[in-house]
Amino acid sequence: MSTSLADHLRSLSDESLAALLQLRPDLVVPVPADVAALAIRAQSRVSVSRALDGLDQFTLQILDAARLTRDPADGTTSVDGVLALATAGPNPPAPTTIRAAVDRLRARFLLYGPDNALRLVGGIDEISPYPAGLGRPATELDARTAALCADPAKLRRTLLSAPPSARAILDRLAAGPPVGSVPPGALQAPAIGADDDLPPDDTNGGAPTGSPVRWLVDHRLLVRVSGGKNGTNGMVELPREVGLLLRRETGPLGPLRSSPPQVTATVREPKAADSAGAGQTMEVVRHTEALLEQLAAEPALVLRSGGIGVRDLRRLVRATGLDEPTAALLLEVAYAAGLAGELELPGVAGRYGADQQVLPTAGYEVWRAGSLAQRWEQLARAWLTMTRQVGLVGQRDDRDRPITVLSAEAERAGAPAARQAVLGVLADLEPASAPSVDEVLALLDWRAPRRSRGRENAHREVLAEAATLGVTGLGALTSYGRLLLAEATAGEEGATDDPLGLRADAEDGGSAVRVLDTLLPAPVDHFLVQADLTVVVPGPPEPALAAELELIAEPESAGGASVHRITTASVRRALDAGYSADDLQELFRRRSRTPIPQGLTYLVDDVARKHGGLRIGSAGAYLRSDDEALLAEVLADRRVEALTLRRLAPTVLVTPFQANRLISVLREAGYAPVAEDATGSTVLTKPKTRRAPARVTGATRTLDPLATPRLPLPRLLGVVEQIRRGDAAARAARRAPAVVRGASPDGPVSAHSHQDAIAVLQQAVRDKALVWVGYVDAHGATASRLVRPVSLGAGYLRAEDERTEMLHTFALHRITAAVLEK
Amino acid sequence: MSGGPLIVQSDKTLLLEIDHPDAQSCRMAIAPFAELERSPEHVHTYRLTPLGLWNARAAGHDAEGVVDALLKYSRYPVPHALLVDVAETMDRYGRLQLANDPAHGLVLRALDRVVLVEVAKSKKLAGMLGNRIDDDTIAVHPSERGRLKQALLKLGWPAEDLAGYVDGEAHPIELAEAGKDGGKPWTLRSYQREAVEAFWAGGSGVVVLPCGAGKTLVGAAAMAEAKATTLILVTNTVAGRQWKRELIARTSLTEEEIGEYSGERKEIRPVTIATYQVLTSRKKGVFTHLDLFGARDWGLVVYDEVHLLPAPIFRFTADLQARRRLGLTATLVREDGREGDVFSLIGPKRYDAPWKDIESQGWIAPAECVEVRVTLTDAERMSYATAEAEERYRMAATARTKLPVVRALVDRHPDEQTLVIGAYIDQLHQLGEYLDAPIVQGSTTNKERERLFDAFRTGEIRTLVISKVGNFSIDLPEAAVAIQVSGTFGSRQEEAQRLGRVLRPKADGRQAHFYTVVSRDTIDTEYAAHRQRFLAEQGYAYTIVDADDVLGPTLPTVD
Repeated sequence: MSTSLADHLRSLSDESLAALLQLRPDLVVPVPADVAALAIRAQSRVSVSRALDGLDQFTLQILDAARLTRDPADGTTSVDGVLALATAGPNPPAPTTIRAAVDRLRARFLLYGPDNALRLVGGIDEISPYPAGLGRPATELDARTAALCADPAKLRRTLLSAPPSARAILDRLAAGPPVGSVPPGALQAPAIGADDDLPPDDTNGGAPTGSPVRWLVDHRLLVRVSGGKNGTNGMVELPREVGLLLRRETGPLGPLRSSPPQVTATVREPKAADSAGAGQTMEVVRHTEALLEQLAAEPALVLRSGGIGVRDLRRLVRATGLDEPTAALLLEVAYAAGLAGELELPGVAGRYGADQQVLPTAGYEVWRAGSLAQRWEQLARAWLTMTRQVGLVGQRDDRDRPITVLSAEAERAGAPAARQAVLGVLADLEPASAPSVDEVLALLDWRAPRRSRGRENAHREVLAEAATLGVTGLGALTSYGRLLLAEATAGEEGATDDPLGLRADAEDGGSAVRVLDTLLPAPVDHFLVQADLTVVVPGPPEPALAAELELIAEPESAGGASVHRITTASVRRALDAGYSADDLQELFRRRSRTPIPQGLTYLVDDVARKHGGLRIGSAGAYLRSDDEALLAEVLADRRVEALTLRRLAPTVLVTPFQANRLISVLREAGYAPVAEDATGSTVLTKPKTRRAPARVTGATRTLDPLATPRLPLPRLLGVVEQIRRGDAAARAARRAPAVVRGASPDGPVSAHSHQDAIAVLQQAVRDKALVWVGYVDAHGATASRLVRPVSLGAGYLRAEDERTEMLHTFALHRITAAVLEK
Repeated sequence: MSGGPLIVQSDKTLLLEIDHPDAQSCRMAIAPFAELERSPEHVHTYRLTPLGLWNARAAGHDAEGVVDALLKYSRYPVPHALLVDVAETMDRYGRLQLANDPAHGLVLRALDRVVLVEVAKSKKLAGMLGNRIDDDTIAVHPSERGRLKQALLKLGWPAEDLAGYVDGEAHPIELAEAGKDGGKPWTLRSYQREAVEAFWAGGSGVVVLPCGAGKTLVGAAAMAEAKATTLILVTNTVAGRQWKRELIARTSLTEEEIGEYSGERKEIRPVTIATYQVLTSRKKGVFTHLDLFGARDWGLVVYDEVHLLPAPIFRFTADLQARRRLGLTATLVREDGREGDVFSLIGPKRYDAPWKDIESQGWIAPAECVEVRVTLTDAERMSYATAEAEERYRMAATARTKLPVVRALVDRHPDEQTLVIGAYIDQLHQLGEYLDAPIVQGSTTNKERERLFDAFRTGEIRTLVISKVGNFSIDLPEAAVAIQVSGTFGSRQEEAQRLGRVLRPKADGRQAHFYTVVSRDTIDTEYAAHRQRFLAEQGYAYTIVDADDVLGPTLPTVD
């Protein structure tokens, strides 16, 4: 079969093959060696499974129809067969839609071959064993069941005789999947005396003696199959024929929906949806900033197991007034956007034994400088692409430990795809239509059932997060959200067209930013001052205005506008920061659109009057006296000028020098100062006699320091040997003859010189003479050594190096020259 | 982006720029659901509170309308989360209803079964709920009606009280708008009429009107509407007598029909005026005058000065839920923060008007507020600096330096009736001697008070020194100048009350003056700032002047 697919692929034109690869891009990673390899890969379970994931419910049902209509003999089917089966039920879909679905399947090579001999790609049966939720044919299951199914009249009679409880089970299995596990004991014989032929049960009005499953198995309507989990009594399967009979009313493939479920979404005023979303974007940006500011003030510790602890999260929640899920979401998004990061704390162990902190990154500063819309776009883009499922935060993992913010447990590779799928559903609807959550889920289920089932929670979370982030407003996708989504998808697909990321609008962040910018309030540079000393900025303040307000007023309320209150403390803070009262008055006059209330002017002047009423400075020592004239004399005395005395009050002078210096200089100048301590009582000082540190005297020595020491004999011998060795080393250090060094200008050593060398060596062995040997070492470098040859033979020279007292072995073919030592 | 007058903040405050052309229509649109919090000269602040939203819901506004109003007038995009929150909060009201079941009497009925299950499990409601009648209904003992409403409000599921009211014992009362006993004809002012209508439509609730705006007449009109025996609760005897005088003059009631129930007299008549004080007095830990509430089949209970309602009265009120209740006040701000109890026990706010609006309509006198800062003498500063913390305020507030300043202020308005208000008796005596003016204080007998007030009204006495007793409910129609020298620390509503003393409309529409004399650089200034905040938020801009400016040119000094 694989060869036939390969043959088929081989016969395709380049364009058709390219079209297949475009639809199933996983086939070219890595690029297959030849068409045969491509065919094998196209039929592999993984690739087929991926191809199926992207199909909608109807196409999958048509594929099931193709599977069901296969000729058992050669495994082929035909378009007509598929059409016949698909239109067998009530409300049959239009044949054109079925043909379109078949074409989709053929384009992906899940079906191939001519119309009258369609083949299915291998591997499908492994992926979903029960086509259309129908069991295997009876002949594959059980001979006696097959016999029953072969007799349609008897089969129908048996079905009709099924008690209601058994019928309920049949109906459930007929809807698919066709297998069910059997509770333990259900298949055992009923209690003695029970009527085994037609077991009464409670719905039948009789005593509950036999289980309905047992009845069905006994009547061959269900077949026991192996499998099932421990603790269950195996599985039962509904044979295909029985299933088809039960599906008389819905059609053999079950209810068919050739088009996506209708959405009766309320369509909002597009402006209202945009406005609600834009309002939310301002909130998101503001809250993110508040969270990060809080993190900057007190960084959160990273747990050993990863993530931020619950306690830190609660602290952030308290400080920012958010709820926990929102705070978790914004933290994750800020992290994904590169606004927060970990910092190593070498050698610092925190309460949790952590040595990492989470705090804002340098990128945060850049982000803060951007416009509202740009800042939001950075966050929203990060959200779209981050592989995190924030909804898991706060839940418990497999080991029943809470999942924390930024921890590895919340990592989900499928998260970006889920977001694109959900937002894609919204994007495909009318602009500003707001479907209910269930409608969105139903649509997703139809579009890609294999991807959506079991992920309903994740999809719900995506919708909630989109609302929180302002991607949607009043439940509808906002205009800028739509653009952002389009840009993000285009960015992914267009990555190949633009590998360097040189998109034209990369600078200003794209059209989403521009659209959002028009929705958001423009920055204002003025405020309104009121008599209750509040300052209202009717819009987002300019950075300069924001900085001024941060200094001179306390924030009271934030949002589209901001309200600040001027208090004594805030005015004092401004004065501390270097503003003068006039500067402040001038600032209010310049920025305010309304007349300045008299109370504010008075407050500023009043605080300024008191500001600086107490002065602080540092001094090394003070000099005080009740005699003002005496102090005046000291101050005027030129001899103590070096002390740089300064008069603080009529009776107090200060100097930057220490008290001791002050005392000694004054005493030298003839004054009579006395030191005092912190309580004011005098401190008496006695001059201390100076002494050098103690040292050992020479009186304890007994020997004449000039006498020569006498050495014992062994030590002398050792000295002699040391000298001799040094001598040998000195000889060895002499330069080897030029021939041996191989540095002769004559080029490579000739064969003649090699033979000469052997001769020299043979002579030296006999004479026990010292020889300079030149050779090429294992790395190809030339070297030379002064040795005394010991023996020559078997291609090797063994010789003793006098200097190192070692025996060396040289391969003869490596020896380039040998010269007797003269 | 629309250029609307409203800015919606994420902390649920609404900023209304009043110079905007749409400001007036926006105010009308948001007034039903947002509480006016501050109304300084340029930007008024409203707040969306659960109470306010529930008030609106009770009045028949739905969440959609609230959201529409916010979106329509908002200058900037409104956060989605806030809109969702508004809708959810409003949705909570009325999920539970208190109703009269023909078979089971008072019941708590749920329109949402889950909510009923949730609240029935709450420990706070233990003992208030009776038998479960069916899945959606639980019996409630009639005596628990008030407490149940209180508790449900705390749980965040305020119940709609549809159980209705008893009519009470009928008693004919008419407004005497044609003039009585030769008096001049008069009519209710438009806002008074609106207030009464709003109250009557709602059944029970609070009417918020500034001092001097004629709250007594609102009460009288409500009585004329009810035509039933009425219990009026007032702060003190003097206020009670004033009510009595007003009722006799403005309604068909005669002196014989109105009883006074106070420390001095214990009369119970078709219309009975009782003081909070006598009701909350107890002997051996038992409230001895509770019988009053059951003495007659009252058809209407009027609470004067709701913001001062003492805690025990709340408890009695919880038992009066079947009677119509009218609360009258100048402010819902309570220093003890029990606004929620007022909401659940007396009723939602039924009428509110910004002070400044009423002033601009000409019903109350415009007022000029001036803070005069007195510099203490060095000796005073020294003794202040070394005083114990708890003595400091007294020290600063009663500084003798204030005396000449007060006299200078009094002399500034030689033709005006002037009140000097203080909190410390010693200081008042000093002032009395210094200004040669009579003093009204707690120990002054009611008879003497009446005499002094009468003399003040007739202009016989030009300056009157009063203690804290003058804070509330005395009618001094022609007081045009008030000078306060000391107060109860930073009490904001005391400040509002004192200003109210001079806000009654003057015969010739001339300006009222309100002076506060404070000692510079002391805790007195801080408290003064706190008290003034309330009035500044109401739009009364304070001018701050130095005492030297008041005292006139300083003497030339010699260097």
